[in-house]
Amino acid sequence: MTAAASSRLRRPGLGTPVIIVGALLLVAVCLFPFVWMGLSSIKQLNELYTIPPRWWPDNPTLANYYKVLFQSRIPRYFLNSVIISVGSTGLALILAIFAANGFARFRFRGRSFWQAFILVGQLLPTAAIIVPLFITLKVLGLVNTYWGLILVYMIITLPLSVWMLTSYFKAIPIELEEAAIIDGASRVGILFRITLPLSMPGIVAVLVYAFITTWNEFIFALCFATDSTVKTLPIGLAEFSTEFNTDWGAIMAASMVMTIPIALLFLVFQKLFVGGLTAGATKG
Amino acid sequence: MRSNAGFVFVLPALIVLFMLIAYPVAYTGVLSVTNEQGQFTGLQNFADVLRPRVTTQALWNTLWWVGGSIVFQVILGVAAAILLNQNFVGRAIVRSIALIPWVIPGIVAATTWAWMFHTEFGIINHMLTGVGALDEPIGWLTRGNTVLPAMIAINVWKLFPFVAIMVLAGLQSIPQELYEAARVDGASYWDEVRHIMLPQIRPVITAVTLLLVIWALNSITIIYAITKGGPANRTLITPIQIFRLAFENVEFNQAAALSVMFFGIVMIIVFIYIRALANQPGDNQ
Amino acid sequence: MKSLKIAGLLALSVLSSVATTTLARAGEVTWWAPNWGEERAKDLAKRFMAANPGITIKMEVTVSNGLPERVLTAMRSGAAPDIIEVQHGWVNGYAQGDLILTLDDVIQDKADFNKAALDYVTWNGKTWGIPYRIETHGVIYNKDHFREAGLDPDKPPKTWDELVAAAKAMTKAGRSGFGITGGGEVGNTIFRSLPFIWMNGGDILNADMTKAVVNSPEAVKAVEFYTGFYKQGLAPKSTLENDGLALRRLFVAGAVSAYQSGQFDLPAILKENPNLKLGAMMIPAPAGKQTAAILGGWSYVIPKSAKNPAEAKKFLQFLNTTEAQGFYTDTFPARISSTKLPRFDDPMLKPFAEMLPFGRPVPVHRNWVKMVQAYFDGIQRILLGDQTAQKAMDQANEEIQALLK
Repeated sequence: MTAAASSRLRRPGLGTPVIIVGALLLVAVCLFPFVWMGLSSIKQLNELYTIPPRWWPDNPTLANYYKVLFQSRIPRYFLNSVIISVGSTGLALILAIFAANGFARFRFRGRSFWQAFILVGQLLPTAAIIVPLFITLKVLGLVNTYWGLILVYMIITLPLSVWMLTSYFKAIPIELEEAAIIDGASRVGILFRITLPLSMPGIVAVLVYAFITTWNEFIFALCFATDSTVKTLPIGLAEFSTEFNTDWGAIMAASMVMTIPIALLFLVFQKLFVGGLTAGATKG
Repeated sequence: MRSNAGFVFVLPALIVLFMLIAYPVAYTGVLSVTNEQGQFTGLQNFADVLRPRVTTQALWNTLWWVGGSIVFQVILGVAAAILLNQNFVGRAIVRSIALIPWVIPGIVAATTWAWMFHTEFGIINHMLTGVGALDEPIGWLTRGNTVLPAMIAINVWKLFPFVAIMVLAGLQSIPQELYEAARVDGASYWDEVRHIMLPQIRPVITAVTLLLVIWALNSITIIYAITKGGPANRTLITPIQIFRLAFENVEFNQAAALSVMFFGIVMIIVFIYIRALANQPGDNQ
Repeated sequence: MKSLKIAGLLALSVLSSVATTTLARAGEVTWWAPNWGEERAKDLAKRFMAANPGITIKMEVTVSNGLPERVLTAMRSGAAPDIIEVQHGWVNGYAQGDLILTLDDVIQDKADFNKAALDYVTWNGKTWGIPYRIETHGVIYNKDHFREAGLDPDKPPKTWDELVAAAKAMTKAGRSGFGITGGGEVGNTIFRSLPFIWMNGGDILNADMTKAVVNSPEAVKAVEFYTGFYKQGLAPKSTLENDGLALRRLFVAGAVSAYQSGQFDLPAILKENPNLKLGAMMIPAPAGKQTAAILGGWSYVIPKSAKNPAEAKKFLQFLNTTEAQGFYTDTFPARISSTKLPRFDDPMLKPFAEMLPFGRPVPVHRNWVKMVQAYFDGIQRILLGDQTAQKAMDQANEEIQALLK
């Protein structure tokens, strides 16, 4: 039976109907509010809030996008956000790769304690730490600077990065590294030559999530970056609201401008999302 | 491997974090046992903050909020990851789309959902009544028994993609040989899921769950943007109570006391968790 | 050892990360102004700098979202700007927390300021803020809806009974006669419901703030009146999720015929629906009693940690002139002489201007925010159907009393 033989060789999986239904459902759930936001961004003021609500506007307009791109500070904030998010994600990733390697591959005194310590910054409610954090930044002279926000975001990105990378590193068979040690490779050499390539999907996932978390952070940015030369996109969104008014069309358009490039970026990153191990790097 | 080399790897991250949070932690600790004039008051702030009935209610709501969120986030996230690990046309695009709930800024997502859930303006009620599933619009956010579930649903929507992408990365790293060995034994797809995928991604799921718990315990954006804890405290969770104490009532000392208690409870959870983690077979030392 | 070196290098590079201090220069006044008045603020700053070459005004724009957090964080960490614009109601908390400077030397002619506004910013016999903008609610209504219901849009209701009757007449399928709030920030519902309690002779606290009185018959009757619009189906089903903004949207969409708000809503409504025939009236009172409203608005404060308080005070003097106040405010100016400016001579604004003398400050008590939260929770319990007005206010009264100690 050739059919049976080939199916034996092929990797089994979910049935095609299950995949189609599942994928459609997933796309629908994820996109539902997003589509609503997108449609709202091309509505005129008088079509935004109607009873009953309407999906498609009678007179679609790009005026909101024009306002966001040419009449607001959003482009400048976009640049600030890119600098700050790239900076904090990069720094977090470097620190986290070393730390995760330490946690995943070594046994040392107080390991559990230090693993928990990494989380401390996130265990205290933001409302409690924001004032002393501001004072810390002031002492370091980093209020209203890129570095200030980049450093503060370590509190948010490091726990995520260290913990996730530790779990990915643990999943790599230790035999591989032992073989390399016998071959005379150094600790750092092993990390860069074996561990990192093998956990590429994990690194991409952590990178993407750390980046987005800082990209969307509001309250730290609001308090620590008061000058428009360092303000970030979420603050730009808030600037479309006044005391008794909210320019929803513009906020929706600005949200699109904030969201779509990141989703596209991830689409490009997809190639890296294939693990080194699937290429069959393990010795049998 | 037992050596101090491990600590050296960990040190830079610890230094950066220590530099940032040493003062905030000490500051919060001191605030919690002093009054506004800076005089030591012992446990007075703790007593003050525990007295109102609302503190207990907030704790219960927090339990529901965290529990409900985590269960659905993990189940849906893992299911989505298994799906996205399949080969199919357009997979890259579906994966990118799965990221969108997380990319949308929290406040915007929350307000958009509030808009879509609205009794009069809401597209959700409009659709449900349109297809005949409902006779008349439901006040999702105005009824005592639907408002917290609605909040949880929004939180699940926002964070299940995180689980999906992280677990997917774990699935991607599973050695092909494991599957091949199973296939030789004639395993079905569900056998693979149960005996290869789930055990292999267990460390990932445990780490993800811990992060989710911490985030859920610390997340106020969605609830604060939509209901501010109302109606009548039906969606009031402890972090929102702390936020209110600090920034609405300017009671930083009481807020600090509540934060310290909160911190203690979460720390206990984390330690139990890490212990359990260290004992699980996936830990290869 | 290699790894040790790398780790050390990393730590060093992070620690030595550029020390760009944000030192304020002498003669520079940093001014936090909200984004809605940005253009006018720039204009004022330019004029002041032209007249005072030694002083530079550095503007930093604030947004309403998260403003209290941002202000408190800056003040408490000792890195505040020189002038901040805040709501009247916040000033007292800052004064009691020793976070701002007294401004008695900046305000020379108190008689020219709205009394209620000054009361807001006075604590311990001293002035802690300079009010520059004041407003109260009135009732905004749709004249066409009045006509359709057979009512005269030029003779709007004056008493509670007339208001209820008008709301009943205008309510029909898909349209609510009178919208109230029951959701969003606490302030929305306090601004709309507390005046009814005041009109009826009730209050939340007694005059010397020793006793909670929100379960008194007068107060409960007013609360019943307010929540009654929802209970009788005269307010939208979505009341519990609506704040002032949502009410305005329902009004623009034609789903609500009348609602309480300030004059700041008028231009916004016309922008969204230029054809809507707008009317405005004073808030109806019980027959034979006087109307009332909460006075809202904004004040300038100088934080204690301001770097150039002397220059800041000089700038405040300039911002407080009759002309500058009249120019800068979004609603009404706090200076009585400024209200005579032609800008405020608009028939649509008349009911709102007439409401001003009835505007009152909310009590100055350190636990006030918690008290209104307790009261607001009570209102929501009534709207949810958990409790009767009396029961809900009994519970609120108990909670408020506990906050008085």
